[in-house]
Amino acid sequence: MIEMSDAFSPKERLLRVLSSQKVERPPVICPGGMMNSAIVDVMEKTGHELPAAHHDDSLMSALAFDVHTLTGFENFGIPFCMTVEAEVLGSEINYGTLECEPKIQKEKFPTAADIVFKEPKEFEKNNRVNAILNTIHTLSAKHPDVPTIGSLTGPISTAASIIDPMMFLKQLRKDKENSHRAVDYVTDCLIHFARLMVDSGVHVISIADPTATGEILGPKMFDEYAVYYLNKLVDAVHKMGVPAIVHICGRMEAVKPSVADLHSNALSVDAFVSLKKIMDEYPGINTMGNLSTILLEFSSPEKIMKTTELLLRNNIHIMAPACGLSTSTPLENINAFTDVVTNQ
Amino acid sequence: MADTKEIMFQRMSDAIVDMDDDLVAELSHQVIDESIDAFEAIDKGLTKGMERAGQLFEEEEYFVPELLMCADAMNVGIDILKPHMKGNASGSEKKKAVIGVIEGDTHDIGKNLVKLMMETGGFEVIDLGRDIPAAEFVERAKAEKADLICISTLMTTTMDAMAEVINILKEQGIREQFKVMVGGGPISSGFAAKIGADGYSKNAAEASRLAFELTGIFP
Repeated sequence: MIEMSDAFSPKERLLRVLSSQKVERPPVICPGGMMNSAIVDVMEKTGHELPAAHHDDSLMSALAFDVHTLTGFENFGIPFCMTVEAEVLGSEINYGTLECEPKIQKEKFPTAADIVFKEPKEFEKNNRVNAILNTIHTLSAKHPDVPTIGSLTGPISTAASIIDPMMFLKQLRKDKENSHRAVDYVTDCLIHFARLMVDSGVHVISIADPTATGEILGPKMFDEYAVYYLNKLVDAVHKMGVPAIVHICGRMEAVKPSVADLHSNALSVDAFVSLKKIMDEYPGINTMGNLSTILLEFSSPEKIMKTTELLLRNNIHIMAPACGLSTSTPLENINAFTDVVTNQ
Repeated sequence: MADTKEIMFQRMSDAIVDMDDDLVAELSHQVIDESIDAFEAIDKGLTKGMERAGQLFEEEEYFVPELLMCADAMNVGIDILKPHMKGNASGSEKKKAVIGVIEGDTHDIGKNLVKLMMETGGFEVIDLGRDIPAAEFVERAKAEKADLICISTLMTTTMDAMAEVINILKEQGIREQFKVMVGGGPISSGFAAKIGADGYSKNAAEASRLAFELTGIFP
């Protein structure tokens, strides 16, 4: 047997997995955005804190580096929230606190028909976007062996962050013309944001679209809107020469056949989904996940190690938390998770 | 006459399930024109239709957009019929609930669905809104003399604050005055039990049933 330990840098390893090449062990990552891993334990240790780090590139770079070194996640994952896109497109944001992530205070538009379309170049004018781009630039230049992942909020979730969500969900069915126009516009903006990230040196784009679940949309609208616009976004990212990860929330039962239609390089799922079953049914899909974030927050390092070993035995391609981490997750629990993977 | 009435209610119920708000409006006006009891039409026509929609939602025939459109159709009918109700229906003995999304989270689709299904079932529901501090749940429940406190979150990051509501109730010695139910994406029955909630439900239709069970009434 060929000894392959440390055969690859974390960046090489992740990029190889995303292009379906062999590696000596799976990477263990947390991509940022919805899966933000800037936990309170890390910030209290280093003093690089949120919410200030959402706005300032030197703080953001420092915090992303702290998270990477202290948690053991083999990547930089930014931004630390999923509100930047909606902010640029007009919604009011509450930046939260040290413990609490930013949230949409108020969606800008009452219905899809009310959207005031902005030029994608509005992104470059936004301070937080610039903090993110500078951070990507700094980290990817300084640490060429560590993959920098740029996280995007998916098309449906971004649309539901700028249009009143209850109205938007009805309109998906009732007013398809305006709904498609809205989601298409949002997708074009996301493509532009991805372009800016890629130009700044990002290695991987990760897209989480938590409003686009099978439970919320049902199979028909999941295909018509979620799959269609996620693929439009992923295809555009591919044209930039960068791989893309897509995270789908929820139990996924209603929409499982559709995930095979996603063009992403890896599929990340929630804790209650069996990745083993997905691998059996769709052998072409690179899987990512899916250690329960409830386990990570509330159980012990021993229990976490056991569960991680089970995921490793199932040959999941990329090890990651299954969902957004609670900011009060103990650092020692995350270390238990990453250590088991990296010490293999 | 009884036949026409029953047929009318059935058509109203079907129109709700079909999300046909125009037809609901037409039938509601017909109810008034033909002097059919407005309360009965709401109860046996509109509400019945919404219950069927909830059933379809549970069976995963309908999803959130469909359920919301059924609710819109129901509200069209209620708006037309309510002014014609003969005083008897505004139920003084209705059970009361306060509902909200816990602090730190502004996702309220799930909360709105639970509210909708509980109202359909006959609860009076006070909607606190989203991003609500734990203490406010308690204060409002006391002020409203609610029977039930319903707490929702979609984010793992805010689950701890749910436990905080129950801790405040205990500290004030009033835990027994209220039933507490929790729900939302990351919540499980195990978590509900761990923080000492009275119940957990995984979707809106189930939440409505749970609310009835916890408050001791069965529809």
